[in-house]
Amino acid sequence: MDFELGPAGEAAMRLVFTGPPQPALTRALLKIEAQANQRFGSTLTDSVIGYTTVTLFFSASALERDRTEAWLREQAEAIALTDDSDPEHSAADVVLPVLYHPSVAPDLEWLADDRSLSIDDVIALHSDATYFAYATGFAPGFCYLGTLPTALRTPRLDTPRAKVPAGAVAIADAQTAVYPCESPGGWRLIGACPEPLFNLGNTPPSRLNVGATVRFEPINEADFRALGGLIA
Amino acid sequence: MNGLQIHKAGIASSVQDSGRVGTLSIGIPPSGAMDRPALMSGQHQLGHQHDEAAIEMAYADFAATLTEAHDVVVTGAPVQLRINQQACRSEGVHHIEAGQTLEVKATHEGIYSYLHLSGGIMTTPQLDSRSTSPREGIGGLDGDFLKDGDIVPLGAPDKAVGASDPQLTIKNPTTVLELRFVAGFQFDDFADEAIRSLLAKEFTVTAKANRMGVTLNGERLHSGIAALYSEATCYGAIQVPPDGNPIILLNDRQTVGGYPKPGAVISSDCLRLAQSRPGQRVRFAVCSPEEADRIGWLEQHYLETRLRDRH
Repeated sequence: MDFELGPAGEAAMRLVFTGPPQPALTRALLKIEAQANQRFGSTLTDSVIGYTTVTLFFSASALERDRTEAWLREQAEAIALTDDSDPEHSAADVVLPVLYHPSVAPDLEWLADDRSLSIDDVIALHSDATYFAYATGFAPGFCYLGTLPTALRTPRLDTPRAKVPAGAVAIADAQTAVYPCESPGGWRLIGACPEPLFNLGNTPPSRLNVGATVRFEPINEADFRALGGLIA
Repeated sequence: MNGLQIHKAGIASSVQDSGRVGTLSIGIPPSGAMDRPALMSGQHQLGHQHDEAAIEMAYADFAATLTEAHDVVVTGAPVQLRINQQACRSEGVHHIEAGQTLEVKATHEGIYSYLHLSGGIMTTPQLDSRSTSPREGIGGLDGDFLKDGDIVPLGAPDKAVGASDPQLTIKNPTTVLELRFVAGFQFDDFADEAIRSLLAKEFTVTAKANRMGVTLNGERLHSGIAALYSEATCYGAIQVPPDGNPIILLNDRQTVGGYPKPGAVISSDCLRLAQSRPGQRVRFAVCSPEEADRIGWLEQHYLETRLRDRH
């Protein structure tokens, strides 16, 4: 698989694969990240996996750029995407309960109308799929999940909302996600998850992590409230 | 309780130490003092051996009373200092008695000043740091900027102080600030016109600047690159959104982003940018990764040398 390797600013290196995102690639990136942790120990201060990238952050005084680049090149060349197990046909690692109802999902009716679907169709399409966690970021515990069924794909709002509540289940382009905390946001909101997604007291703190498979389970209002969900 | 009772917090004051390491992978930015040498300078003068936190003030307009006696130092952007309504010199260590009031007010240059207190700030560390990340609600006092009426807990001052000022305060150029940057992958993919403008034109610091980043204004840069798959952002990344005005990402940046980035400004120039007021003229210059490493190493060496005990 084609890749590029180079600096990502001071004391950071990035490995970029040029192909499209796919679960097998993400698993390969996770493997490289784990190997880098072993190889570099505390010299490697942090690492972040993106859709097609892994970025390694080093302590500035300890980075040996040439040797590190050579080592990374070897790892990248050794990658063969043989693991092609399709997450859409495997059991989900995480199942998140979701209330799909206009009272907690301001874009649900709009989306159904726009696609000439019933709300039940939208719910079925969103909750029948199994998603793969490609990247985390934007906010602690925010996880980019793919791939959204074609019928639900929609651009972001032209003007992001100033406040999206914690637990909002959202879609944008071919992605879906749950907002772990209240924040501004431009994705369309189609449901609400009553379960917390990020807690510093847990290990790991985030419920969703890169490489996980995720499914959404429709629940009713009573269950939503029983699980601690709030309806404004 | 031994504490600092805040009467006037000012617009964006927060508890900051040197920030977090290793939290990008869980979506939490490093945060930490925007002017790290200023932080280190104050801690050095108070004889603190560890990474103690200070109160970072942007355009300082701060007033507080101490419940117990402490030594204090203010570093970073120059300020006017008043202790019990008496103006005093702003440099060096000041002893403040219990019940006395301290006022810190910004002057005409720089943005971030740091109030250091002997004994250190005793808010509860989260993820090994007391730094506040307000967007994430982590660290500091209740994960937020300081407000009027807050009481910041302090440690007991336990030893003699009095190291001399290591003179680490950043002096910003009065003319043009050079922002040296390491080119990234997308540098080659940027439209030629955009790269020509980036390298040849002058930009200015706008009012849209905070702990997340500094927006520049000048010739609009149209990268010609469609949205990217989200990838890690790094300190100093030159992010170019569709409006064409580059944003230099700093301590409280989002950990991933999908905007094109021709490169990342080296840290020593980021510090100067963070302390720049709106209207500061800046210019970009390419710097090889090896040169960036060398500058970083030399600066680290310089800091360590300055911070050796000089009583």
